[in-house]
This record gives sequence, structure tokens and C-alpha cells, in this order.
Amino acid sequence: MWSRLVALLSRLRFALVRRRVDEEAQRELKAHLDLLIDRYVGLGMTLDDARNAARRQLGNSLLVREEIHNMNGVRWFEEFCRDIRVAIRQLRVSPGFTALAAITLALGIGANSAIFALVDAALLRPLPFPDPDRLVMVWERTARFPRGVVSSRDFDDWQTRNRSFDVMAGVFNYARRLSTPDGTVEQIPAQQVTPRFFDLLGARFVVGRTFLPSDVAVPPNVVILSEGLWRDRFGGDPAVVGQTIQLDAQPFTVVGVVAANFQGIPPARLWTVWAELPGMDARAVRFMRVIGRLKPSVPLTTAQSDLERVAAELAREYPATNKETSVTVDPLRDALVGRDIQSTSMLFLGVVGFVLLMCCVNVANLLLARTAGRARELAVRAALGAGRSRIVRLLLTESVVLAAIGGVLGLVVGVVILRIAPSVIPQDFLPPVVVLSFDVRVAWFCALIAFAVGIVFGVAPAWQATGTSVVEVLTSEGRGTTKAGGRLRSLLVIGEVATAVLLLCGAGLLLRTLVALGSVDAGYRANDLLTVQPSLDYGAPTAMFGSEDALRQFLERTEREVTSLPGVDSAGWGTSLPLAGFSPLPVEIVGDQAESSGRGVLADRQLVSSGYLPTLGVPILAGRGFTEEDTANSPPVCIISEALAQQHFGGRDPIGMRLSVPQLHLGPTRPVVREIVGVAANVRRDLGEVDESRSIYVPIAQNPWSFVLLLVKPAHGRAEWLAPAVRAAVARVDRRVPLAQATLDDVMRTFTTAPRFRAMMVTTFAALALVLAMVGVFGVLAYSVQQRRREFGVRIALGASTASVLRLVLASAGRLIGTGALVGLVLAAVFAQSISTFLFGVRPLDPLTFAGVMAVLGATATIASAIPALRASQVDPVVAFRND
Amino acid sequence: MLQGTLDLMVLQTLDTMGPQHGYGIARRIEQISEEALKLNEGTVYASLMRLLQRRWISASWGTSENNRRARFYGITKAGRRQLTAETENWERIAAVMARLLRGAEHH
Repeated sequence: MWSRLVALLSRLRFALVRRRVDEEAQRELKAHLDLLIDRYVGLGMTLDDARNAARRQLGNSLLVREEIHNMNGVRWFEEFCRDIRVAIRQLRVSPGFTALAAITLALGIGANSAIFALVDAALLRPLPFPDPDRLVMVWERTARFPRGVVSSRDFDDWQTRNRSFDVMAGVFNYARRLSTPDGTVEQIPAQQVTPRFFDLLGARFVVGRTFLPSDVAVPPNVVILSEGLWRDRFGGDPAVVGQTIQLDAQPFTVVGVVAANFQGIPPARLWTVWAELPGMDARAVRFMRVIGRLKPSVPLTTAQSDLERVAAELAREYPATNKETSVTVDPLRDALVGRDIQSTSMLFLGVVGFVLLMCCVNVANLLLARTAGRARELAVRAALGAGRSRIVRLLLTESVVLAAIGGVLGLVVGVVILRIAPSVIPQDFLPPVVVLSFDVRVAWFCALIAFAVGIVFGVAPAWQATGTSVVEVLTSEGRGTTKAGGRLRSLLVIGEVATAVLLLCGAGLLLRTLVALGSVDAGYRANDLLTVQPSLDYGAPTAMFGSEDALRQFLERTEREVTSLPGVDSAGWGTSLPLAGFSPLPVEIVGDQAESSGRGVLADRQLVSSGYLPTLGVPILAGRGFTEEDTANSPPVCIISEALAQQHFGGRDPIGMRLSVPQLHLGPTRPVVREIVGVAANVRRDLGEVDESRSIYVPIAQNPWSFVLLLVKPAHGRAEWLAPAVRAAVARVDRRVPLAQATLDDVMRTFTTAPRFRAMMVTTFAALALVLAMVGVFGVLAYSVQQRRREFGVRIALGASTASVLRLVLASAGRLIGTGALVGLVLAAVFAQSISTFLFGVRPLDPLTFAGVMAVLGATATIASAIPALRASQVDPVVAFRND
Repeated sequence: MLQGTLDLMVLQTLDTMGPQHGYGIARRIEQISEEALKLNEGTVYASLMRLLQRRWISASWGTSENNRRARFYGITKAGRRQLTAETENWERIAAVMARLLRGAEHH
């Protein structure tokens, strides 16, 4: 077996250099003959006799050469090479056709490769950790939130009571301020983790060690650096291990540097060990993301039910915090990539796959027309003895060669697309684990689809060409095309139109979604605000300010300083922005048993300064807004939104009533009874189907908190122009505070990033599909007009008017496009349901979208069919009597 | 003459005599067969090509004793293995043939 294979391979090797092999054999035989002659002359023969004797002894050297020649051939291989040569010759004969076909294919294949790179990164490529299949993410599940963060105590109990995990670890983002000897402070993306985080993910250390259980300390005092930070800030010096660095003005000892290929979850640049703060209600405060490594061959479902058991125990033991909570276990990839990206990339792949199919159909159409023109050549081949399979092979080789050219160009297109993709794909659309790259897998995919495509669009012409009778073609004076070919081409075009309609409907729905999202009235009137986010320590009181009072003073002084800046109209602190998400918090209406004990009142609590609502442009509908008189020492007050007033006060005037609102506090939460002093207009908290705008505003002076944003409204001009002045003003109050800035519009735009990108991509592809379909329609009509020139000539000669010929062509165009559109609409109705998760503010069967698609199709179809129709009507009747 | 027989003879020649050109192989076979095998000498080259393809021999260009450029063939490791196997096979068949034919004579 093995030696056979070796022989076949070397046969192929020799076959490639057969001419040289033959020359060598010839030379050897000649040398052999000369030696024999020498020998016989040496034995005393005359030269002539010696020559004859030598020839006799050597035998027929021509026969030997032929034997060697045949030995080195592989018949199918030779035929294959010959077919390729024929194919290339054919393609060179008509460069226009070749270029058109190759470019069409290159676009289709290139777009597919690029989208495949996305799918590969989002769904297929294993995560960059050892044994990634065993990695999961564990969430706390409640009826309302299937995936929530976890409290550290629950994490501890999950870890000790489970039976299906090797290791579990908790992680949460916690930006750190790194001080350098020159006094500057840089904010570093950092995380706090439980000690076995790095073991779990199989991280490799450049120097030093991983965290140990003994590293847990209050306050935390050891740190692990990423290789990148180590090189940037510490010059890649291994001696940094054991040194002390300043984080948030606290000393930390460096214990290790983790290798650059390690990605955090999400990527971070340094890590510290999490430790429970004294006095915090550790079971109530939920902040951790929990990852786990399953024991070998433990399925996800087992782990899920195992942890559900643990969660049920905890719910019984700690009903105050854990009632009705359970767990959700996800594969880590799904959790990191996000289902939205996964389904979006599948949507793109489906759409771009349709586009590729249309590229194939167009090229198949071109080929069909050409093959019909070559019917005579093929008939001659058949008459000379080429079998049906031989001709099919010839034609398929042509299409595969064409596809190969398209594939190579497609590879280039794919590389270019991926090169420019980062500037087109909105920031934050792709999570950090999804890295687009053109690698071997994508190249393989590209080669594979090029080959498949070559077969797909080659089969139709080959089938058509061999289905005809040789005699019929040879005797038909080369005039006719085959009826079957025409029908096949019409069917292909109908398919194209249907696909274009399908994609256009999808694009239309996504565009309508975008419009609906854009026109969502979030409820605030401000249109150009600067948002400034200081990096203070999470929670209050903080290491930075020492006391709640100091924090309160920082907030008040900053607001005053910024408001007094020239060019600033107003400014105000708040804990969140509109549309940032609805975080329900149970509150009680004091003295209203029915409401509180029954349905319960849920509202989103926000801590705001007196300037917040006026700056955001939220009108007070009743009562008053906050003023500077609402201080830490004045009576506790709050403002509620109109939605909350309507839903829970049933027509009663809420002003003067009292609410029991939990304080935002790291420790055990203590509710504070607050008097409602005003009702504010609704501001949407999220972009859900239901308008969710139940809010409670609490003066930040009465509940200081450091995770805050300052909104600044310009008196005139653009908000972003204020940034330098605002930064300077904050620095005047406290120069230790790093700031992140954005405009409100920027922030709001991030909420519509994904829908906008989806709509843009699908619309682009749909437009491409429409163009391809119209090229197909044009091609088929133009070709059939060309074929029927004689018929049109006769008609015109017999007195048919221009209008009637036009009608004739347009009617056949109408039949094609109408049928295609109908099929496409039916398909769209079926497929629309599958993208309903991407839709907002529009139903899947939106009549307006479907009608719009028909209008676009009608307009473009008219253009595509007008030219062939006009050409038909201008046929010179003389052609009817000429024989070409 | 049987094709396989010639291949085996060429292999055996290269094994015992070391690298040879085609002419030398033909002379050697002529000599040991005592001209019992009338050889169409050109067929040696077809045989050499077959053996080359199976990688049982290798070839390289060199200069012959009378200063002519000639192609020298040498047996490879795989060729030697093949030769051993074939020799055993051949001896077995020869023995069977001998027994069979002798039996026929006695009859």
C-alpha cells in the first residue's frame, strides 16, 4: 500500500518533468549504444558491423522510450492538466466575461470570508485558555434577571458546597490609580479576584507567582501585573517582584507578572486580591462575576443542577437575602462573547451567504449564455468521441478555474475588508475576546467555498450543454439556443429576485428599528451635554476622602466651581444617565399597607444634586425640585417620576406623602423615610418594549456616593468645548482625581450601536443583492433579446409598432420579476420571525416595509429591463432576412 | 523474459556490485547468465525507471570509465529490503517449481 503510494507520487513527480526524463533516457541509450560499438570494434569488427551488432543487442530504443514515457504518465492527471490549459485559453478568449465573473465571485467570496472571520471569532475558535470546554460562568438567577452578579458570601458557599467544579473564582472590575515617583497618577483597568483566578484560567507567569490563599488581607496588599503594564511602566525589570508600588495611595507588593497572552475577563492590566471589608453586609452586596472550571467530563447540566441544589439550601438558610434566587450556568464563551454578537454574526453569515449564492447565479447565467454559444464546439467534441462525462469534466474544470481566480481575488478582498473593519465596526460592539483576524482557518474557508462555488455554478451549464442532441445542434445552423437553457436561466433569475426581496425586507425591518430607536423620547430635553466621570473610590466613605463629609464637600465644591465657569449654563451630579438600565429597588409607601405588602413598589433610585434635573432638562410637573437647602441636615426628601406617581398612588396627590427608601450604602442598608416634595417628568430607564420610567430621585447630599457623573450644560456653543475648563475646575478642587469625559450624545449613541451596525451591514448586503439581481435580470433579458432578434425583425417587418415590441419584452421581464417578488415576499414573511429579537418598534410583518421593498424593486427593475426592451424595439427588420 | 525477474536481477546486481550505469548492469547480467538469457538490453532502462519510481534505487549523473557522462544507479535501503523479500519469495517458488517438475518427471 505504502510503496504503491510512493510510486504514484513519484509518477506524478516524473510526469511533471517528463520531457526531461525522456531526454535523459535518450542520452543514456545513445551512450549505451556507443559503448557497445566500442566493445565490438575492440573485438575486431568493422565499424559498420559493430554498429549493426550493437543495435541488435540494444533492441528497439524507441519502444523503450515509449515504455518509460507511459510509465511516467497518469492519465486523469494529464487530462486534468490539459483541461486546465483549455479552460485558461477559453477564459483568455473573452477577458471581459472573465473579469466580470471573477470580480463578482471575488466580492461574494471575500465578503463571506470576512464574515466567517467574525463567526469564527465569536462562535468557533476556542477561548485562549487550556481546556476551554470546561470553563463556565455562573450567575445568580432571579425571576427578573436570569444573569446577575453574585455576593461574595454566596460565592464562598457555592465553592465549598458544590460537587462538580474543580475550581471556582470570583472577579470584578475595579479601576486602580497607579502613582509614579514623579507624582502623576494614572488610572489603570484593574480587577479584584479571588486567589485561584489565575490557576483556574491556566495563566503562565513571566516572573513571580500566582496569588495564594494566604494573600487575602484587609486592606489588600499584593498585586499581579500584566506583562504589558510591566513592560510599559516598569521597563520589563524582573526585579519588580518583591517591590512595593502605590495604588490608590496604598502600598502593594508585586508578587508576579502574568504573560501577555493571558486575557483577563475582560482584559485588565493589574490584579489585586479581593477581601471582604469589615462592616459590609457581604451576602447582600452583589458585585462578583463567578467563573468555574468543571471537573473532567462533568456536563454543564449536572453542574447547573448541582449549584441549583446549593442555591436552594442558601435560600432556606438566608431568606432575607437569598429568597427565590437560583443560578444560571453558561459556557464561558457564551458569557464572554455575548449571545447578541453570536446571533448577529450568524445573521450576517446567513445574509452574506445569500449574496454569495446570487454571485454564483449571476456567473452561472453568464456561463449558461456562453455555453449556449459554444453548443457547436461541444457537439463537435462529442461527435469526435468525447463522452458525456468527459465534456462535463471539461466544463466543470472551466468553472473551477474561474472560481479559483475568484477565490484568490476574494482572499484579497477578505483581507482588505478585515483590514478596514476596525474603523467601521463601532467601538465596544465586539467584546475583547472577539478578535478579527485573517488566519489559516479563514483562508481554508475561502478556498473551500471557492471550490464549492465553482462546482455549484458550473453544474448548470454542464448539465445544459450535455443534455442536447448532437445532431440537432450540428444541423441547426447555429441559430437556436436551447429552450431548456432559457428556462433554467429564467428560474435562476426568479430565485435571485426572490433573494433580493428577502434581504431587502430584512434590511427594511432593521432600518425601521433604527428609526424607532432614534425617535425614542427618553424624556429629557437637553440635547448637548458634557458628562464628566471622576474616578473616585467605589462607595463611601472612601480611602480618598476619609469621610462622607469630605466626599460631600468635594461634590458640592466641584458643582459650584463648574457652574460658575463662563460658558456653563448649569451643572449637576447624578448616579446614572437616562437609558442606562432599570435597576428595581423595593420601596415602601409609608402608611399604605395595601400597596406595600401587595404588589410592592419597585423603582430605580438615583442620587442627584440640585442641578441634575434642570441640567438634563427634566421638568418638575408638581411640587418643587431640589435646592441647595436640601442638605445632610435638612429633612429627608425625594422626588418621584410621573410613572411612579400614576402607578402607585392611584390618582391621589403624592406630594407630602412619605416613602421608605433604602440608602445606597456598602454596609447593611437602612431605609430612610423621605417626604415626596415633587413629581418629575418621566425619563426612560431602558430601551425595552415597555416604557420603564419609574424613578425616585434622592438628594446626593443626603446619601453621598462616589460613583457619580457630572452633567454640564453649555450656555452657548458645543458641550465638548467646555471639557478643558471643566477639567481645570475639578483639578482646582482636588488634583488627585482622574476624569473620563464624553458627551451625552456619545453615551446615548452607544445604546444604539449594535442595531445601527446590524442595519448598516444588512442594508449594504441587501443593496448588493439588489444590484446583483438586477444585473441578472438585465443579463437574461439582453440575451434573450439578442437571441430573438430575428423574431423581432420579422414582427417589425410585418408592421408591429415599437410600443408592442416594448410591451412584449417588458411583459416577460414583468413575469420574471413578479414571480420572484412573490416568492421573496413569502420567504420574507417566514424569515422575518427569525430576526424578531433584533427588532424594536416594528412588527416582523410590517406592511410599510414590505410595500417599500416593492417600490424599490419596481424602480430598479424598470431601469434593468428598459435597455433590453428599447434595443428590441429598434431591431432593424433587415436582420430577419440575413443569415449570420 | 518476465518483467519482475529482470527487476530482481537489476536489484541483485546493484546490491552486489555497488553503483553502476545501465551498460555495466547489462554486462553483469550478460556475464552471470552466461548468455542463457538473451537480453534486449534497452529494457534494462525501463526496469531502472520502474525501480526508480518505487524508490528502490536512486540515480545520479557521473563520469564513466571512458570519460563519458553516464547515469549511475545505486540500491537504496528500501531496495535492499525489497530484494531480501523478493529473494525469499523467489527461492520458495523455485523450490516449489523444482519439486513439482521433478514430481512430474517421476510420474
